Amino acid sequence: MTKSSSSHDERTGSAQRSGFGSPLVIIALLITGVVAIWGLVDAQALAEGAARLVHIQFVSRAWFIMAAVSFILILCAWLAFSRYGDIRLGRDDDEPEFSTISWLSMLFAAGMGVGLLFWGTAEPLTHFDLISNYRDPRESAADALFVTNFHWGLHAWAIYALTGLVIAYFGFRRGCPSMIGAPILDTFGAGRAFGTISWLCDLLAIVAIAIGVGGSIAMGVFQVKDGIDALLGLQNSGMALTAAVFVALCLSYFPALVVDLSAGMARLSNAAMAVAGGLMVFVLIAGPTHYLMGGIVQAIGDYFGDVLVHGFRTFTFMDERIGNWFQSWTLTYMVWWIAWAPFVGVFIARISKGRTIREFVAGVILGPTLFSILWFGVFGGAGFFEALQDDSSIMDVVRSNVSGVTFFVLESFPLSKLTISLVIVAAFLFIVTSVVSAAFVLGMFSSAGSLDPSRKIKLVWGIILGALGMVMILSGNIGAVKSIIALGSLPFVFVVLLLMVCLLKALKKEARTGA
Amino acid sequence: MNGLLDTLINLEIFAFIGALLWLYFKDFDGPDDSTD
Repeated sequence: MTKSSSSHDERTGSAQRSGFGSPLVIIALLITGVVAIWGLVDAQALAEGAARLVHIQFVSRAWFIMAAVSFILILCAWLAFSRYGDIRLGRDDDEPEFSTISWLSMLFAAGMGVGLLFWGTAEPLTHFDLISNYRDPRESAADALFVTNFHWGLHAWAIYALTGLVIAYFGFRRGCPSMIGAPILDTFGAGRAFGTISWLCDLLAIVAIAIGVGGSIAMGVFQVKDGIDALLGLQNSGMALTAAVFVALCLSYFPALVVDLSAGMARLSNAAMAVAGGLMVFVLIAGPTHYLMGGIVQAIGDYFGDVLVHGFRTFTFMDERIGNWFQSWTLTYMVWWIAWAPFVGVFIARISKGRTIREFVAGVILGPTLFSILWFGVFGGAGFFEALQDDSSIMDVVRSNVSGVTFFVLESFPLSKLTISLVIVAAFLFIVTSVVSAAFVLGMFSSAGSLDPSRKIKLVWGIILGALGMVMILSGNIGAVKSIIALGSLPFVFVVLLLMVCLLKALKKEARTGA
Repeated sequence: MNGLLDTLINLEIFAFIGALLWLYFKDFDGPDDSTD
């Protein structure tokens, strides 16, 4: 790590123009701006166009996406157990900045977000609804839980781990700026061809983050609105309440973009995490505890017994209904994680300085996966407990209003007003912290990797994220949101694999030459 | 599904995998690290 700063700048692109003057920012703003304007003018056309394009892409690329994510998981496991596992993400004498417990809890918070709150009960029950057409309902519950855990488990976190590992290794060990394209310049040199590829990777990362976070805003707003409906007993409160929630959200995150609230943001994120964890424990204890624990133990066995094989399943020989389900769930999730990878990757890299590759991979992949299995075991199990009773109407809610399912389940527990309010608060906090962090990371990527992006650039990204969120809200349903995210993030599959090659080459070189 | 488009997309994937393998195995003589 002894490089002259000028040669290093040349190699990593940090001497490039940054801020609003750079072509990267102009083009990224143009692409995301066009998507936002198109959606504002005709949200339905955008949603339908995205769904059509995503379908074409998914049909042709399904095998590649599944092979790629499975390969990434196997590669991460190999890295942890190989001789490279001892390499430290930082100087050889660097110590981890955070204790292992606090590091793991920050990882949970990063990966959990509003998604787990939204899908905790809804996703297992949605799969259950489909699978029970093919199998006995009681067997279908275990299968539905397995598929849900597959979507949120090792494969998802392997994508994050690989991206985070590349950013951390090249950032802390080789002194590159925290840009997605920087490892490419460091590995292959800053010639015209690789300079262009690196630039393109930065652009794709920005677009994937912006559209992914926009989708998350929409999902969070849908959930908060349904929570308020459930709390106040409103029926069809419609767009007025959705708009009010959205405006409240914007009013909450804009000040945080102008004033430096990084410490406060970390506290808010921890608070949201604590509320979510508390809710999980509450449902476990207040609900049918032995039933939920039984489901969790079975889910752990089912998951670890079949996860690798399932990663290679493409449902090629199944009927069209299953094929469409596979596209709109499994494939969409995998590209969704890829869309979030640059964003979450930067975050987990920043908190992992001083850890070895082995610790990093084990912590990032195993910790959150186990937490997800617990989470879905509790919330999914509570849903199945309802659904498998003869007179339950929960499946009608699953079919008609997926974002209201969590609240429907909570209403059957004691203190439901309090728990529903807590879900609303946690969802709101998760979105605010996500948007603020995303605006920061986008600002960083727009300022050649600067760890202190200007307020102006963060504010502009805050506006764009808000506009994209609004577009996705206007598109009206969660299926449209998923299509738009998938479309924005598909090209990033290539970027993650290219970064993987950079990492492997750099590790091989370090082992050979010690540099 | 347009068969030609499907073929083109898959050819693009094969080309990408080929390019990755080439990048992995080719020895790039990067800039000298010992410039201090």
